Amino acid sequence: MTSASMLANTPAALRDAVQDLLFREANFLDDKQWQAWLALYAEDAVFWMPAWASEYETTNDPELELNLIYLKGHASIEDRVFRVETGDSFASTPMDRTTHLVSNVVVGGVHGINVTARANWMVHSYGLHGGMTRGGTYQYILRQQPEGLKIAQKKIVMIDDKLVGAVDFFHV
Amino acid sequence: MLMKTRIASLIDEREGRFRVDRAVYSDPDIFEAEMAEFFEGGWVFLAHESQLKNAGDYFATRIGRQPVFLIRKKDGSLGGYINACAHRGATLVPYEHGRANALTCRFHGWVFNLDGRCIKIKNEELGEYDTADTKSRFGLTPVAKLESYRGFVFGSLRAEVPPLTDWLVGTLPWIDLMVDQSPQGLEVVRGSSTYMVRGNWKLQAENGVDGYHVSTVHRVFAATVANREAKTAVDGIRKTEAGRMLGNVNSGAYDFGNGHMAIWAQRTEPSTHPLWPQKARLEREFPAERLEWMLNRGRNLYLFPNVFLMDNPSSQIRTLHAISPDLCEVTVRAIAPVGEAPEARAARLRKFEDFYLTTGMATSDDLAALEATHAGAHGSAARWNEFARGANSVRRGAEDTDGGKIGSVPQAMTPSWDHEALYHGFYRFWKDRLLQGGAG
Repeated sequence: MTSASMLANTPAALRDAVQDLLFREANFLDDKQWQAWLALYAEDAVFWMPAWASEYETTNDPELELNLIYLKGHASIEDRVFRVETGDSFASTPMDRTTHLVSNVVVGGVHGINVTARANWMVHSYGLHGGMTRGGTYQYILRQQPEGLKIAQKKIVMIDDKLVGAVDFFHV
Repeated sequence: MLMKTRIASLIDEREGRFRVDRAVYSDPDIFEAEMAEFFEGGWVFLAHESQLKNAGDYFATRIGRQPVFLIRKKDGSLGGYINACAHRGATLVPYEHGRANALTCRFHGWVFNLDGRCIKIKNEELGEYDTADTKSRFGLTPVAKLESYRGFVFGSLRAEVPPLTDWLVGTLPWIDLMVDQSPQGLEVVRGSSTYMVRGNWKLQAENGVDGYHVSTVHRVFAATVANREAKTAVDGIRKTEAGRMLGNVNSGAYDFGNGHMAIWAQRTEPSTHPLWPQKARLEREFPAERLEWMLNRGRNLYLFPNVFLMDNPSSQIRTLHAISPDLCEVTVRAIAPVGEAPEARAARLRKFEDFYLTTGMATSDDLAALEATHAGAHGSAARWNEFARGANSVRRGAEDTDGGKIGSVPQAMTPSWDHEALYHGFYRFWKDRLLQGGAG
């Protein structure tokens, strides 16, 4: 197995590779290229957005506390795409337009084939409820696989509560 | 008088019909009357006792438009007060949940104990007050009535209300079906979600006990789950039951009087429910007909005016705060049997997240349908909403031998959750109370 540091010979090159992945993910979501988006995720990937437990704390045990979204494994993430693609979801027809801004990307540590990264996000969407902006942070675990760098885990914290309109995987 | 004449004209029961004027969802004068008569003039749900376990634990919420907080006193009882300093009115508790030995106002530093008595006035000796006993004049204003039924806490700003158990009438056996699932009762699970719905609060009340939409709005949920389970091996309590969404299961719709309503539907695969591992214990503790209701039937119970207790794919407290005719704030919390095994708790929460959230795959669609209904209701040239289904199959009181097995005596019921006769009770109660009340 290659180690994640072998992705790139220098910290700057590693940061470029991580940023490139995060930015491509954002663009696939905004362009509704769902299959390309799904292909960024590892087979055992976790897509997790915890719920708020107080003004300061989100839940932190995804198994035994409430989450806003907690998808374990590629097939579960595919469910969400399947639903909006049917055209039969009241909330997703017509589908909101979105634009993701991903910034403040900081590469954390390299642990074997995994690399951690944190970024901030803001998504402006437009649909039946008009224009709306929500934001928060992403924490990624990325994994170097033979076919390239894949998302092994994405934790999304959305600072907003009192949510207006449906908030789906492509709104965050 | 004008208002009362108008309210009487909004429900049309002539010629065997049951029609409701869509203005009930949008008229600001009607909303003001509802706020005074229902939300600030009668029992409303406030919290579950498990949210306030220890002395000093508080929970801030609202009754109608008035800020209140509940607090666990040192003797173990619950206090409820208007969340405003007795001095100049600043809200006293800064967080939704917290713990305090005493309540110190952050504006001028006055301090109140957990019984609501003022125990300190900052610089009282320099205050040049005209009495030596100033503090006794400034107690917090209690919520007029506060009572619990089996852990569910209700309050009323109006003192002249019936005892809580009289108000809840025929719904008590349905609440018991949830609470009895663990000998230690129920607990609220950590984490919640709040969403703002661009729709009138009565559309929330209708939607939560509307079985008729399930096979249209949620067939996409059923299709999604079927697609998932075709790809991945899922069994036991992690499996998602979708039979009810495809129709043709036994079901019922209930009007309990006082505006309370409920629906149930047969679970096609009760072994997928998180309670199933407890079946043997429950069989020892409860008669078979009660277990049938508890284990094999999904149930949504609406307690007028502001809470649902749902025990369907998962279990939920859904609380409504009516903000304006066009806006309703909803908070959902997962509630679960105390002592539940981790694998059952996890399965319960995953089903909750799949279905019951605006970030999930079903409630999001409900809310879109509800908001579309609210938008359509503004087309006032088309005046009426029709609630005609089930009119010919209404059973009253003891005629409901099925509910009678758990001691439930409805005002009326029909043997299908596709029926709409339960709303007749809701809207008759709504009309009668507004006509009796102070609406001008």
